[in-house]
Amino acid sequence: MRKNVINLLARQLWQDAFRSKVMLIASILILFLLIFSAYSGWENYHDQNLTRDEIQDEVQDSWENNPDKHPHRMAHYGSFALRLKHVLSVFDLGMENFVGNAVFLEAHKQNTVNFSEASMSTGLLRFGEVSLAMLLKVIVPLLLFYLGFATIAQERENGTLKLLIGQGVSRKEIVFGKWLGLWGLSLIFLVAIFLVLLFFVFLESHNSMYFDSLFRYLVLLISYLLFFGVLSAITILVSAFSITAKSALIKLLGIWLLFVIIVPKSLQAMGFYLYPTPSKIEMETAVEHDLMQLGDSHNPDDPHFKALQDSVLLSNNVKDVADLPFNYGGFVMSKGEALSAAVYLKHQTKLYNVYEKQNNLERYSAFVNPYSAIKNLSMAFSGTDFQSFLHFKDKAEAYRFNLAQEMNRLQMELIPNKGKAGPDKISNDYWKQFPPFEYHFLSISDVFKNELISLIALLLWSILAVFGLLRLSTNLKAI
Amino acid sequence: MYSLLFKSFFRTKIFMVSLILLLTVGIISIFIGKQYLIKQEKTIAAAQVFQEESINKNLEYHSEDLGLLLYYLRFTLIKKPENISAISIGQSDINPLLQSVTIRALEAQKYDNDFENPSLLMSGNLDLGFVIIYLFPLVLIAMTFNLYSEEKELGTWRILAAQTSSKAQFLFKKLVVRFFFVFGVLLFLLFFASAILQIPLNQNFGGIFIQSVLYLLFWSALSFWMVSLQKNSSFNALALISIWVVLTILLPALVNNYVINTYQIPEALDAMVEQRDGYHEKWDLEKDATMTDFFKTYPQYKNYEVAEDQFSWIWYYGMQFMGDFEAKDTSAEMTEKIMLRNTVSEKIALFVPTMHVQLSFNTLASTDMVSHLGFLKALTEFHKNLREGFYNSIFDNKSSDSVGLENYEAKFYESELHIDWLRLILPILLFTVLIAIFSLVNLRKL
Repeated sequence: MRKNVINLLARQLWQDAFRSKVMLIASILILFLLIFSAYSGWENYHDQNLTRDEIQDEVQDSWENNPDKHPHRMAHYGSFALRLKHVLSVFDLGMENFVGNAVFLEAHKQNTVNFSEASMSTGLLRFGEVSLAMLLKVIVPLLLFYLGFATIAQERENGTLKLLIGQGVSRKEIVFGKWLGLWGLSLIFLVAIFLVLLFFVFLESHNSMYFDSLFRYLVLLISYLLFFGVLSAITILVSAFSITAKSALIKLLGIWLLFVIIVPKSLQAMGFYLYPTPSKIEMETAVEHDLMQLGDSHNPDDPHFKALQDSVLLSNNVKDVADLPFNYGGFVMSKGEALSAAVYLKHQTKLYNVYEKQNNLERYSAFVNPYSAIKNLSMAFSGTDFQSFLHFKDKAEAYRFNLAQEMNRLQMELIPNKGKAGPDKISNDYWKQFPPFEYHFLSISDVFKNELISLIALLLWSILAVFGLLRLSTNLKAI
Repeated sequence: MYSLLFKSFFRTKIFMVSLILLLTVGIISIFIGKQYLIKQEKTIAAAQVFQEESINKNLEYHSEDLGLLLYYLRFTLIKKPENISAISIGQSDINPLLQSVTIRALEAQKYDNDFENPSLLMSGNLDLGFVIIYLFPLVLIAMTFNLYSEEKELGTWRILAAQTSSKAQFLFKKLVVRFFFVFGVLLFLLFFASAILQIPLNQNFGGIFIQSVLYLLFWSALSFWMVSLQKNSSFNALALISIWVVLTILLPALVNNYVINTYQIPEALDAMVEQRDGYHEKWDLEKDATMTDFFKTYPQYKNYEVAEDQFSWIWYYGMQFMGDFEAKDTSAEMTEKIMLRNTVSEKIALFVPTMHVQLSFNTLASTDMVSHLGFLKALTEFHKNLREGFYNSIFDNKSSDSVGLENYEAKFYESELHIDWLRLILPILLFTVLIAIFSLVNLRKL
């Protein structure tokens, strides 16, 4: 392969593209969409995080400024966890608007994360959202097909392909020249969007997760580079194996519709159909049922808590719970909290396993549909996938559990038993000592672990693309 | 003439492909709707059992203290499911079908969501509405984009032109044949859906039917207009797909981003905090601080003594009431803003047929935001009636037998819908007629 010939062919493809009206219209459209989605993405990220940060601080202030009181009152007073957006959510909105944003953390109860944007939106949300990633995932591929469908098929129809080969240009040079040209064309959009994104990442450089963000950014950039390489190869291959340019276009449009619009949605729907999930009320019933079996702290005759009481009395060598060296109420509640949290988590894990099965149908389709691979990778590294949400939810639940148990501990140690002398309040210094809720995003190594399938699929696709082009180089038909 | 055109159309590859695609995906979507209805039924059954069991269980432990008993008991209001919602699932997978609430502050319970896989919420449901809005236009495009150009490119146009009296009429007839085929498939799918999903053939169903037919007419007119420009096949395919992308993906998404960003709702989070503080801070205040405001709303309880140094249920439920009371204004603002989002979306949708059809499908199927807000309003009323029904007995320390808890079953809420036919039909009809006129003008030059 001669480098200068390949360069020449690639450059020629660029010239043709820039002469066409499609490129002009597309560039204007993409520019408009880029400005719009960068602006609206940043505005959304910035405003939402500002509001949530403010409320999180406010909540912490009111927690610390509570007067002296019984610790269990504070356990019920509770706190809130507000979900912060990752700076890269400016790039890919992912599930951002479909998951909840705030959760009330109180003793005895795992509340749902509420107020998702979707729950406050109209049916329009289902048409999708415009984001920088959406442009790269959905619009640019279509554009690439528009710009590339004619590359080889048209030259063959015109007879120029025969001429080229006759002039001593090898088939390999033609194939790779055209491929690099088309890939290069897609990089114009990629570079434009990623430059804008880099600016946003820099804007948040004060963030403690700055290097993590940069790393995520890099992975996204490489993933999209590969994705466009694969798409360009598909375009060249379809164009080469079609008799006319027209039929190449129809095939490519079909591929786009099928793989970007119809298949991902159908597979997600099939997952829902194949693996039904319980509703909240069903799960709550199951949790309550399990708890009754294990031990119901509300039931005075419950065998589990009766046995617990007996063993505590025995080990402390007293006859009445009031004589115990610690507050018995606090003790029972701490045991009850541990028990109910464990049971709830068990059922929740089961539910999430079903979700995973539902999602896996689409996830594994990445091996036949490169769009699925980039879709999942893009969300995950932008911190807007389901796992990122679960990570937040787990942290919030851990904080809730600690808060409840810390208040139970304070009650056990500082509040006297019923009928004994002593204060029924403790100093509000204890509230100030309890650390505020601080959220750190999923570590990048975890993201890699979560997205292993998508990464492997994208790499395989890249290899397959090169392999396909090499095959084409040997049997490209000139006429 | 028509029978010949039908025959030649039935022989094309695109006919078979379209038929198979629409029927398979259409039937799958109907069964997905069925699954969705079954899930709703199961949820409702579970809620009914839950309520009964939890009343019985709590009666066992806490029957001596009505105030405490009602602290635990949850009462369910269910939005009566309509089978037609399976055609256009809309927002009903995001917004819960039912809410089980205690008589404590409602604001903290009202917005609890049900469990649903966010990936599914994001990708949206594959319901019949989706098939009609997204796939039918694609099939129409695929069948009509080369109506004229194909004959031209194959060289058959000259022969035809010599043999037919009116070339425009000939093209129009070809279009009519394709439209009737798609119309037939639509008719079949809608009636199949009505049979499988047991949807009554009422006004709402009629609305969806008319809207679907108009929508198909709109796309036929659009394709025909493209044909009337007499460009080559590749151009037509490219242009029509681009129009499809703009109408079904880009424009709605742009509007959605705009609406979400312009009308942000921080009030939702504010109300949540206000409710908690409104209730909890009363624990640290003089009891009068609670009772004065409570008695303002409920003067009939003024003669109850509330001792300063002793816990009493009237004070406790007074505090709970204050939680809702203090969040009331912010909560109302939040609802107003959601309504505003809805109004703005609907107004813009009048100019974009895809959006208009989606939103009106949701309205007709009672799966839109307005319908959910109606449910939330009913829930507030339901909660108020519950509380007020129990207040006397709790404050009088009556026994739990006296309130007849066994009669409290899960209740259903039925929404009422007024269809504005003109608003439903007119926008899309106007667009269709307008585009049809443009195409006819173009074809006169043929």
